[in-house]
Parts: sequence; C-alpha cells; structure tokens
Amino acid sequence: MKLGLTLGGIAAAVVLATAAQADKLDDIIASGTLRCAVTLDFPPMGMRDASNNPIGFDVDYCNDLAAALGVTAEIVDTPFPERIPALMSGRVDVGVASTSDTLERAKTVGFSIPYYAFENAVVANDKVEMADWEGMKGKTVGATAGTYEAIWLEGQVKAWGEGEFRPYQTQADVFLALSQGQLDATVSTVEVAEANVKSGNFPGIKIVDKAPMVPDYVALFTMRNEYGLINYLDLFVNQQVRTGRYAELYKKWVGDGEPANLSVPGVDR
Amino acid sequence: MFGYTFQWKQALSKLPQMLDGALVTMEIALLSMAIGIALAVLLTLFRLSGNRVLNGFAVTWVEVARNTPALFQIYMAHFGVASFGIHFSPFTSLLIGITFNNAGYLAENFRGALKAIPETQTRAGRSLGMTPLEAFGYIVMPQMLRIAFLPMTNQMVWAILMTSLGVTVGLNIDLYGVTQDLNALTFRTFELFAIAGVIFYLITKIIQLGARLVAARLFRY
Repeated sequence: MKLGLTLGGIAAAVVLATAAQADKLDDIIASGTLRCAVTLDFPPMGMRDASNNPIGFDVDYCNDLAAALGVTAEIVDTPFPERIPALMSGRVDVGVASTSDTLERAKTVGFSIPYYAFENAVVANDKVEMADWEGMKGKTVGATAGTYEAIWLEGQVKAWGEGEFRPYQTQADVFLALSQGQLDATVSTVEVAEANVKSGNFPGIKIVDKAPMVPDYVALFTMRNEYGLINYLDLFVNQQVRTGRYAELYKKWVGDGEPANLSVPGVDR
Repeated sequence: MFGYTFQWKQALSKLPQMLDGALVTMEIALLSMAIGIALAVLLTLFRLSGNRVLNGFAVTWVEVARNTPALFQIYMAHFGVASFGIHFSPFTSLLIGITFNNAGYLAENFRGALKAIPETQTRAGRSLGMTPLEAFGYIVMPQMLRIAFLPMTNQMVWAILMTSLGVTVGLNIDLYGVTQDLNALTFRTFELFAIAGVIFYLITKIIQLGARLVAARLFRY
C-alpha cells in the first residue's frame, strides 16, 4: 500500500515535471505533427494544384521543417489577416506564410531569421500611361491587404497626398480589379507579378518598374515566448541555405536566377 | 490564457482612427437606409400597380435581395458590374450593395404592413375623389410606415453590420476596414477586434434605443 502510494507519487511527479518543462518544440515532437499556417493565395509561395492539393515554396518549406523534426506536416490554409488568430488560438504551431518581419509585428509574435526576401514590382493596367513607379502618383492603386507592399503603398499614397489606395482581401481580387481597370496599378512581389502576367488569367496588365522598397524579408513565426522553437527555426533556415536546399526550392518555384541574399551586409542578427 | 498578452494601451491608442471609421460606417448605413426606404416604397407601388412588367421587376428584386448573401450582392456591385466596364469606387459599391439588400427586405416588410391596413380605407379615399396615388400617399403609406417602423430599425441595424463586408471590395475607411488595416500593421488582432465589436454593439444599441424613443413620440394613440 505504502509502496503503491510512493510509486504513484513518483509517477505523478515525473509527469508533472515533464509537463512543466515541455515547450512548444517538445509538444510538436511528441504530437508527431507540425501544423503550418500557409497562405495558399500567394503563388508561387503558396497555391493549389489542379487536384486542389497545397503546393508552393512555403508548402515545401513546411514539409522540410517537418522532416527535420521527424514529424508529419499538416498545411493549414490561412489567409493573411488570419495568421495571428490561427497561431494564438493554437490551430497552428508555426507560420510559413511569407510574413514580413516588421518591428511592429515582432511586438506580438516571435520571428525567425529571414527565410526569403522579395523584390517588389509595379504592375499597371495596359491602358494606363506609366513610365516608372512614380507614375503611380495620383492614380488609383491597390494591393493585398495586410502585406508589406500594401503597407508601403498606402504610406506612399498618403505621402503624395493624392490618388487613392484600395486594399483587397486576396491577391486574386487585386489582379482582377487591375485587369478590369478598377485599379490603375498595383505593387506585388516580382514573383507574383511574373506568375500572373505569364498565366494569362488576368489580361491587359504589364510590369512597369521595380518598386523602390527595402527588400521584403519574410520570416517564419511562432509564439513570441517559444525561444526553444525560435532557436530551432533559426538553425533550420541557416541549414536550408547551407545545404543548397534554398537555391533548389528557388529554382523549382521561382525559376532561374539567383535567390536573394538573406543576410544584411554590415550587421549581425 | 493562450500565451498571448493583451496590450490594451497600444490598441486603445488607435481608438480615434476607429471612431472616425465608425462615422463612415454610420454614414453608409444611414444613406443606404434613406435610399433603401425610397426604393422600397417604389417597389411596393410597382407591386400594387397591377402592371405585369413592373410587378415582375419588383418581385425579381425582392427575390434576389432576400435569397442571396449580402456578400454576393456587394461583390457583384464591384467586380460584377466592372466586367461590363462600369466602375464604382469601393464606397459606392458597398452603398449600392447594402441599398439593394435594404430595399428588398423593406419592400417585403411593407407588403406585410399593407396586409394590416383594410382595403376599405383605399376605397373610402377613392370615393372622396382621391386618385389611387393620392389615396396611397395620404392614407395608406403613413400607416404602412408606422407599422413597419420597428422592422425598419431592424434593417438599419443589419445595414450597420453589413458595412463590415466593405473590406471585400477594398474599402478601408469604415470601422471594419480601419480595424483590418490596423491589424495588418500591428498584429494586435484580439484587442482591435474586441474594440471594434464593442463599437458596433454600442452603435446598434443607440440606434435601437433612439428608434424606441422616436416611436414613442411619433406613434402615440
């Protein structure tokens, strides 16, 4: 009887001790599943193939991460505005959703080191005369709500003091509006711009110029206080570059050319 | 709670911007109600007219407005008509969408109200030498609006809430659009939407209370 109690006590103590120490990284390994928030409306980073399966750079990146952790990946389709609710309500473990690592956002979530960097392009309707990016001044412009380029463009319109900015909820809506002539121009990542011009789904649009923005570094994110996991994510991103997997994924999803340099010269992170 | 620290101070500092958004929300709702009521009266007249074309037009309007999602109606008012080369700004698109919806529902409310008004009243008016339009305007319509007054406040509340669909057509100056924008900037999702929810609740409560007061003053027997 006494022995039973003691054993029971020890067992309880062990369970409690592990429970108290287990962090998110342990939870993921223990559960055997890594749930990634991926935005599947953002080709070529996240999209669906003909049979509706999630594909893209971010999807592969999540699969790689899961493989490194020795668990199975689960892709949770998460529109841009829902990334934080999805994380905070525990529906996903990690965001692999081309999320720009702004200081403002870093007050709420924890970011890894950047795993990708976008250049942005100005795309205009064919009927609009536009020589370069400054041609957007005074025009009706728009971008996908909640993205880095939308934040930049809205700031630009405010600074110009003329023209109109419209954020649409999805990338597809932006290009639909642009193709219809409701928008004169948009700013999107070069990858998205080229994919959409090439696809022919949105007739009557052309790439005008590069947008003069600081490269849009995007990072993986998770709960701000999960240092163990963030630490792992940092190393994982580093390894992806080191092993050449980053260049491989770039070639697969974006095309020929050099993937962007992920380190900022002159400063450490 | 779920590993998230609420930062109310940071979120509340955005309150002035959100209240500006609330004004736009109320503006859209009020405009859509004013135009919606006028259109609903017109639709009711079309139905009473006995003209098959006019009646068919009114019935189609009501059917579409009541049996499709408001989101669809607003989306059509923006992207739908644009494929025919007609471009409306996000504000106008949202206003058209909600007004279309309001008119449909209100016309149905008015039809119900008309049922409560004895037909003999119209005939009495006609026997006094009024034209059909005069009999409707002076005798039936005032009673109809009175009976339908509370359902109308209901629709007004609905119009306020429907403004949140403006984000789908690129509106970012209404309460929901402003909140969505701030959310993208700061990721303070829970605080911002909680505040927006409270503002929406307060607006609709004020409308309901105001309507009761107005009704008590206007409709004393």
